[in-house]
Amino acid sequence: MEVAKPDKAKFVGDGIIIFHDVSGAMKGDRVIRAAGYESKLVAPPPELRMGCDLALEFNLVEQVGVERIFKEKDVPYQNFLPITKGASQLCDIVKVTDFGEWIMVKSGNMKLSFEKATGVIVNISGGGCPDIPYLNAEMVGKTLAEAPFPSELGYTLCATMLQRAYEEAVSNYNGGRRQ
Amino acid sequence: MMLLCGTIPDKNLPVTYGQVSQDEDYLYAGGRRFSRTQGTGAMISAAFAITSYFKLEAPHVLVAGDIGGGEGTRGIYKYLIEHIVELSPELMTLHYSLPIMALLRKLCEAVKGCPNRPFMIADAGAMYAAKGAGLSSEFDIFTPDPSEIAFLADAQATHPAYISNYLFASDADKIPGQITDAFANKSAAKLLLVKGKTDYVAADGQILSTINEPDVPMLEPIGGTGDTITGLVSALVYAGLEPKDAAVYACRTNRVAGQLACPTPATKVKQIIDQFPVVAKQNYCSWAGICYTDAGK
Repeated sequence: MEVAKPDKAKFVGDGIIIFHDVSGAMKGDRVIRAAGYESKLVAPPPELRMGCDLALEFNLVEQVGVERIFKEKDVPYQNFLPITKGASQLCDIVKVTDFGEWIMVKSGNMKLSFEKATGVIVNISGGGCPDIPYLNAEMVGKTLAEAPFPSELGYTLCATMLQRAYEEAVSNYNGGRRQ
Repeated sequence: MMLLCGTIPDKNLPVTYGQVSQDEDYLYAGGRRFSRTQGTGAMISAAFAITSYFKLEAPHVLVAGDIGGGEGTRGIYKYLIEHIVELSPELMTLHYSLPIMALLRKLCEAVKGCPNRPFMIADAGAMYAAKGAGLSSEFDIFTPDPSEIAFLADAQATHPAYISNYLFASDADKIPGQITDAFANKSAAKLLLVKGKTDYVAADGQILSTINEPDVPMLEPIGGTGDTITGLVSALVYAGLEPKDAAVYACRTNRVAGQLACPTPATKVKQIIDQFPVVAKQNYCSWAGICYTDAGK
């Protein structure tokens, strides 16, 4: 059985925050969401891309507050810009496949599989960035509750997609509760 | 000499070059030990299984620890840019790495200084960098999975995470069209080996071969089963097969080995790699006319 569903409701901002690297963008996303702001991970405008890049779309009107929280939480960033054009969205399709005793969740290019009875993560597949084999080593063999968040250990877009797969797996396993 | 390059998820592993050997779950090179589970390690272990079967020189490897920050990736590129002419491998495979386009450009420039151009294969982060830098045509083989062929087909995408939803939504049905698009927008290597429920081998915009059997759905969740195909095709090209044939036999070898391993989603890729010599002994004579004798030839 395979089910595909879109991710959360779409947020559309009118500003974009450029970071020095992907891990900075991921940290920025965590920090401003925790502070109650809306944001969305997107690709930087083409002229600013270096390859495996990530930026944050946000509400430009909230720039001052976001700058303040970044300063408080020590989040380095390059610039705040208004959105004009060229900010691509991350692929937001999540697919769930039932393998009987196991569930595989696929988010973009990443797949996470866990055992239904125990919640133990049995495999992580996909991706091509160096943090994925590392996350595989850190997460496989642990339960969904015990495993570290990919967004906390990872650095790249592959880790971002794995975080989404992980969140869907938690949701599928116990209705979104990590414990 | 075959040179296999990529990052290893061990931040304490320095840039390491040497000829590889294997003992149980570990690979050894340059006086260092690293795991053969998933990623670059799985790719190297798969290639090693085939060179051992053919009694060929074991692969040389260039690896470095990197958990995503890019230090190991930069170290590998620096070493390659400085030493590629002196190494002059016959075949070079670039695998897990941070997709740093500027460094790949420098490497491709450095490769031009080799007396004989290496046969070049890319997968994972190195393939993302090649596509993003517009250097796909410098490579002989890419080995994308379904999300990565959608990425190659999307001229605007700089990473597989950014592929348009319409390309991702019905992936299996769209792969032949995506192969055409990848060649049309010059994002494909000379030959594409697309790994998935159906494997495709394509060149010049045309699908040359499809591989469906044996169908082993349980392989999809197992991390590293795409990495093994990259290692297999590298070793089979190095063994002297034509690239198209090497690609087809790599896919078949992976599938049959998967079937022999009786996998579940909890199976580890090393259990499949360990079946490669069995598959080769049982099938390469009929598939490719490469026959095993007890004399070891």
